[in-house]
Amino acid sequence: MKKGQMKIMQMAFMIVAVFFFFVLVGLFFLRVQYNDVSTSAAQLQKDQAISSLKVIADMPELNFDSSEPLTLDGDKLRIMSGGFGDEYDSFLPVASLEVYKVYPKFDEVNQCPGLDCNYYKLYDNGQTNTKTYSTYVSICSKVNEEFTYYDKCEIGKVVVGVKM
Amino acid sequence: MRERKGQFNFAWMFAIIIGGTILFLAIFGAMKVGDTARFQSDTEIAKSIAIITDPLQASFAEGSFGKIPFKQETRINNKCLDVGFGQNDISVATQSDIGQEWNLAAGATSIHNKYLFSSKRNSGTDYYVFSKPFKFPYKVADLTFFISENYCFLNAPDKVIDEVEGLKIESIEIDDCTLENSIKVCFGPGGGCDITVSGSCGSNCDSVYDVGTVITSSGDMRYVGSLMYAAIFSDKSVYDCNVKRLMYRNAKIAEVLIEKSDLMDARGCNTNLKGELTVWHGQTINATSDDLAGLRATSNSMNSKNSGESCGMW
Repeated sequence: MKKGQMKIMQMAFMIVAVFFFFVLVGLFFLRVQYNDVSTSAAQLQKDQAISSLKVIADMPELNFDSSEPLTLDGDKLRIMSGGFGDEYDSFLPVASLEVYKVYPKFDEVNQCPGLDCNYYKLYDNGQTNTKTYSTYVSICSKVNEEFTYYDKCEIGKVVVGVKM
Repeated sequence: MRERKGQFNFAWMFAIIIGGTILFLAIFGAMKVGDTARFQSDTEIAKSIAIITDPLQASFAEGSFGKIPFKQETRINNKCLDVGFGQNDISVATQSDIGQEWNLAAGATSIHNKYLFSSKRNSGTDYYVFSKPFKFPYKVADLTFFISENYCFLNAPDKVIDEVEGLKIESIEIDDCTLENSIKVCFGPGGGCDITVSGSCGSNCDSVYDVGTVITSSGDMRYVGSLMYAAIFSDKSVYDCNVKRLMYRNAKIAEVLIEKSDLMDARGCNTNLKGELTVWHGQTINATSDDLAGLRATSNSMNSKNSGESCGMW
């Protein structure tokens, strides 16, 4: 092999090596950036789920009285858990929405609508691998006892799920 | 052995071609990576807007206000779709340092559970967000207004002055127009107005502007109650679309209340509103902004009936 050809080959190998080096650097950079995107997407989902807790609890479809924050209407919960909530599939910015009564205490979970129920499954889009966030709320209903009308309230917990 | 002239030239030519290709690929790659990073950041901003407007929902308050500052001139596009519950698609574009003035808008974030009223395309460094509840006759939703321009309200009624001053919105002035390039909003006829609010409320009104029409360059918009602000700060297409969404949601809430009336009746908390709610549902499910003034009388009648009931539906 002539010296000139040798030099060209050396140069070609060098250029290919440099090229591959930059490709690897690029791939490494893209990998780091992809991780950043996944982390920020997960963080944004989590932020949205947490900020949604109050927004969902104050929705007129669930709220007991628009002047009382974080107070759910027992009747509306019953209605929405009876299949009414399915229409709200794309409307709610979460993967699932459930409400538990936490006080008075109960021994076993009875899903609503039903007698002495204490658990309302309002919406679930079927996603697995979700993380849940919750907040305490009041669950109230208007009651008439011997012509005395009053608001009967219990303590509950709203649980929203967000896909991880 | 002495190198021949041809061999030397070929080596250089080879190096220049391959070197040039690598340089081109490196610059092209860097620009693509830069574009991707900008797209990612602008998409994150759009998503963040959906999240940071959550605490700005008026909720049980009469209104709430917040300011969103950006580091650079930012354009926010608001596209509204009115099928069913509908959605606001929010996308963000930032200003380019080279070449065309604005970069292409990044990925849009669809917001289904909020009603964002703004121009179709806003631009600025500081955005002011405020929110008012919309009741018709029960609470339907919180209206969120997104503005980047300055406004000056002329001859506004006391109720509007109280509301605007109460929220301390920096970009809205009352009567004394000192802010730069402010949009002049006249309540009633006046000269040099960019937007005119024409009130037409005749009965059961706090002010003549409880019902009326907002006349802007994008078209006339009919309103009731807090939708007046929505009409002032929006383009007609965004306004009409969001009003349709609100009316659809109003009908869906009516469905829930109709079911609720049965449950309440069953435990002695009787209500006479079921029939009216059924009619109301039919009237609102496909209603548009042109129907608002006509629906107001029914809304007022249902509200007074509800107030008179022992239990009350809302």
